[in-house]
Amino acid sequence: MKRRSFIQGVIGTGLTSLLAENTLAARNVPSIRFLRPPGSLPEEEFVSRCIRCGKCGETCPNRTIKYFDLENGVSSMDTPFIIPREKACILCMKCGDVCPTGAIQPIKRDMKPILEKVKMGKARVDENLCLSFQGKTCGVCYRACPLADVAIRVGMLEQPHVLKDCVGCGLCERSCIQIPQAIRIIPDHKRS
Amino acid sequence: MNKLIIKVQRHLNKLRWGVLSLVFSMLILLPFLHLYQTFEAAHAYDLLSPSEKSISDTMEWLSKPFVKDPEVDLNNLKGTTWSGTLFGLKLSDPLALVGQISAGKTVYMPFLITALIPIILSIIFGRFFCGWICPATLIYELNDNLATWLRKAGIPVGKKKLDFRLKYLVLLMGIIISAATGMIAFAAVYPPALIGREIYYAIALSGFGSGMVFFLLTLLFDLMVTRRGFCRYVCPGGALYSLLGHFRLFRIKRDVTLCNDCAKCNVVCQFGLDPLRDDFTQECNNCTACIAVCPTDALSFTVSIKDIPNQGAGHLGHEYKRLHNIQDDQGPK
Repeated sequence: MKRRSFIQGVIGTGLTSLLAENTLAARNVPSIRFLRPPGSLPEEEFVSRCIRCGKCGETCPNRTIKYFDLENGVSSMDTPFIIPREKACILCMKCGDVCPTGAIQPIKRDMKPILEKVKMGKARVDENLCLSFQGKTCGVCYRACPLADVAIRVGMLEQPHVLKDCVGCGLCERSCIQIPQAIRIIPDHKRS
Repeated sequence: MNKLIIKVQRHLNKLRWGVLSLVFSMLILLPFLHLYQTFEAAHAYDLLSPSEKSISDTMEWLSKPFVKDPEVDLNNLKGTTWSGTLFGLKLSDPLALVGQISAGKTVYMPFLITALIPIILSIIFGRFFCGWICPATLIYELNDNLATWLRKAGIPVGKKKLDFRLKYLVLLMGIIISAATGMIAFAAVYPPALIGREIYYAIALSGFGSGMVFFLLTLLFDLMVTRRGFCRYVCPGGALYSLLGHFRLFRIKRDVTLCNDCAKCNVVCQFGLDPLRDDFTQECNNCTACIAVCPTDALSFTVSIKDIPNQGAGHLGHEYKRLHNIQDDQGPK
């Protein structure tokens, strides 16, 4: 290989990748409503940390974690995600232990660290769909919640009220008997 | 004693095939074991479909002698050759480390430590990962055998010679792309990472992803353009291992007093190296096929930090030249 073609190649790839970065940044809002596994870093940092080894999914005892192909853009190809309506996270925290790069931070399986560090999203109740708000007593989401009375509280007629400690595991959305689901996790990819 | 060591080295190639098949079969077995674990965790054997029941039964039969509680004990074996857990020991590919550092611009110490053992082994043994562990190597070598059969059947297969330095350019390009886009570009194109992942997707999830298409393209590249082309000319991991193994301790040395210049070693070398003229360089992946094929046991591993220079013709050649009074322009004086 000649030195000139080598340098040309290096400069060329540098420029194209810079262009690619700009086009990727333009479509920053993901079109799919997905969650990252519990303890994940903020989205941009997560993508740069995750080496796509697939160990989180291979450890998940509930087979919750799936992997993107190209549907969410090239940058998140082969990264883990959770669709809470299909399979929700049971907060076993095994994926964080097994992640080699800390893209999913290891978190002890205990009430306090989970409430502090897990920020997958927040549940939101659609009161027009929720049975309990329509006069029929339900309360399934409250009973499915692993952090009942901490993350979600029920009022009159078992009407669910999401509290600010909700970590977004998605078990409420998974268990909602209404179609379409009346409670949804709004993902928090900034982990604010 | 020395003779015995050299005799034993003939069988390294068989051992290598054993290791390669073991790694590959583990990659197929691990997703099934994971499925079995999830079935156990759910405590719902009766609710499984017949095919799931058969998976559960087979895996229970296979793992019963080794584990007490499958839910916990099987966690000792996880992951792929890209990054895996081996009985509490976390190991990662050095290329993953390079990619992660260039994409994240940070060094995460626990991850660095997981890549340390492979790095040290590569510094000692050179590009051994490519020949001995890489799950893609198994497929690529079988693919190369297929190419040989095709050639024998009269179907033309590629035998272009490219510049082997191309893969260092690919490595550098990958680092630049990772740094610019903030994603680890190597993970998408590095065959061992890809194979482990795609096998897992196919068995435990919905099926092969688009990475498999890329892998099939590399197989076609090997068939139609050049022999073992991806490993030799494109693979960024191979480039990294070659660089790490530049000062490796063990090199294959040719014993000139035994070599009879039959050139079988050159034919069998899938990497297109030139053992007959002692031209191994850092590209050699220690596959030991040339040692196994050598009829006079002239090739063997020796401890040497530097590349062994061309030693000239074997003993028959020297004899011939001596008899016919030909001046030796290369080789030992």
